[in-house]
Amino acid sequence: MNSALSKPLEVPVMLAVDKHLAIQQQLFYEARLLDDERFNEWLELLEDDVRYRMPVTERRFRKDRSAPLAFGTGYIFDDTKARLGMRVGRLQSGLVWAEDPRNNVRRIISNVEIWQGAEANEAEVYSIVTIHRSRIDGEEKRFVAGRRDVWRETTQGWRLALRELKLDNAVVLDSNMNTFF
Amino acid sequence: MNELDGLIDQKSGAQRRLIYSDQAIYAQEMEHIFGRCWLFLAHESQIPNPGDFFRTYMGEDDVLVIRQEDRTIKAFLNSCTHRGNRLVRADRGNARAFACNYHGWAFGIDGSLATVPLEREVYFNEIDKDQFRLVPVDNVASYRGLIFGCFDKDAPSLEDYLGDMRWYLDSALDAMPEGTELIGATQKVVLNTNWKLPVENVCGDGYHLGWSHAGAMKATQSGDLSGFTVGNTGVDLEGGMSVAGLNGNSVLASLDGVSGYAFYPEPALALKYLTENRAKVVARLGKFRGEKLWGSQLNLTIFPSLQFLPGLNWFRVYHPKGPGQIEMWTWAIVEKAMPDELKQQILDNVLLTFGPAGLFDNDDGDNLASCTSQSRGWRTRQMPVYTNMALGRSGQRAGLPGDIASGIVSEHNQRYFYRRWQEHMQAKDWSEVPQYNLHPLEAKDEQRTVQTA
Ligand code: FES
Ligand SMILES: [Fe+2]
Repeated sequence: MNSALSKPLEVPVMLAVDKHLAIQQQLFYEARLLDDERFNEWLELLEDDVRYRMPVTERRFRKDRSAPLAFGTGYIFDDTKARLGMRVGRLQSGLVWAEDPRNNVRRIISNVEIWQGAEANEAEVYSIVTIHRSRIDGEEKRFVAGRRDVWRETTQGWRLALRELKLDNAVVLDSNMNTFF
Repeated sequence: MNELDGLIDQKSGAQRRLIYSDQAIYAQEMEHIFGRCWLFLAHESQIPNPGDFFRTYMGEDDVLVIRQEDRTIKAFLNSCTHRGNRLVRADRGNARAFACNYHGWAFGIDGSLATVPLEREVYFNEIDKDQFRLVPVDNVASYRGLIFGCFDKDAPSLEDYLGDMRWYLDSALDAMPEGTELIGATQKVVLNTNWKLPVENVCGDGYHLGWSHAGAMKATQSGDLSGFTVGNTGVDLEGGMSVAGLNGNSVLASLDGVSGYAFYPEPALALKYLTENRAKVVARLGKFRGEKLWGSQLNLTIFPSLQFLPGLNWFRVYHPKGPGQIEMWTWAIVEKAMPDELKQQILDNVLLTFGPAGLFDNDDGDNLASCTSQSRGWRTRQMPVYTNMALGRSGQRAGLPGDIASGIVSEHNQRYFYRRWQEHMQAKDWSEVPQYNLHPLEAKDEQRTVQTA
């Protein structure tokens, strides 16, 4: 069981400033790896038991009385490291025609909060990711998502153990999600 | 409507590209097709209890589907009868009444106008509330759990509209006595495509699988089970069939009884379920449907815009938003009798393969959008596009309804789809729409007739 899946901390505790800075750097470094399509290096930043997931967003009344869905809303993706490897394998197959020519992607990571995690060697990290993708001609597509991460300190440095995403749009506004958040 | 004559040429399998971009043609589609045909609204499993509602579209009309106190289902335009405001802005839920955000008129789940604020003070109690009920969708009917609505009073019954397509539908919807359900929330994606292009892609285009989805097939290593190899070589061309000629409805079927699960990274649980229940399904549906169709990859299309793929287990409807845009809505469809663990896995796999971030779906969107944008240029839009593969090579197969072509790589079903489109566009009303149910089922054939629910 991935301990990172446990509930967020109720009383936030700050990390030592050197750890805080190291994690913040890691977030920006990770974004640059993805922008540069260095997917294999990105996979190395992930713990073996990583969970990376984004539930389907719904619009519901605040006081809705209906019963929850028996099998949940479903996840746009709910990936383990093996599945992320499969997605990377697809993108690197040279056979994903929609990504050739390349669609340039820039990730902006903002509103970063870093707190002591549930385990001594873990940090709980909140942020917002805005992904700008340049498509054909002047077309630009954008995704905005909230992120709750758990990063774990290992002998190789900080590694991602959990990323829970919340996509703000109930309707996905691009023809594909050939990208990582 | 003679100006529509040249848009579709059945003999050469050609369509004029302006049918994907022209505003006037689109306006006529709203009236002649979406205003006239039976359209999928919701699955009964999505609104099990009185007061449960589901918001959807019929063409561009915003529609509310509501389970009534007596458990029947009604549908209404989701528009306040006072000044026309959208009444409900949630995707689904449960309610006792709906209050309009603008001036507070409140409607019951049966569509009645229940309360009007300041009725005595400003309307002097003179308002006839019966006149301001929500506008109902005239025809609402279900087929094996699938709720359809139709705006046209003169439309044939839902059963006749489906014709012998029901025989094929039942191989998914009625394989197990408990029937089916949709699970998960609605997965919605905006695509800049004309609505006909995804329909033709799914109704008959087995041709694109090995090429468009080569990267996904390689990554999921799904080639073996599906009989496809990367790059469209080595396809088993005889291992399936394309069935059309059932009004506008069609079927694409592999015939091996397992390949629906070919694109699943871990098909073991599903294959076990198929093995355990095969005999039961054969007893229920007969040998052909029980052995050859149940569990196979099936692409089922109900004209104009409902498609589902038992096996891969996704269920999808397209809502047009102008000639160049749609919202594509997808759910996972499961058999109620499946174990919970399998249902959960199916929901997960549908999203992995065909959801908004689906390994396979993410290959199709840009192609559909580009086919649409390439029908806009002044010179380009005058040009034809073709579905002329294996023209004239279809016929009857003993014991099976419809006009059938061999294999799932042919453009047979697309031609029938466009034929149906043209028939509707040219017909003034339903009396002019030809009905054809080619090579129909006969009552004497045991287990071949459609059983009524
Ligand atoms: S528009 Fe709905 S109450 Fe006026
Ligand atoms: Fe496809």
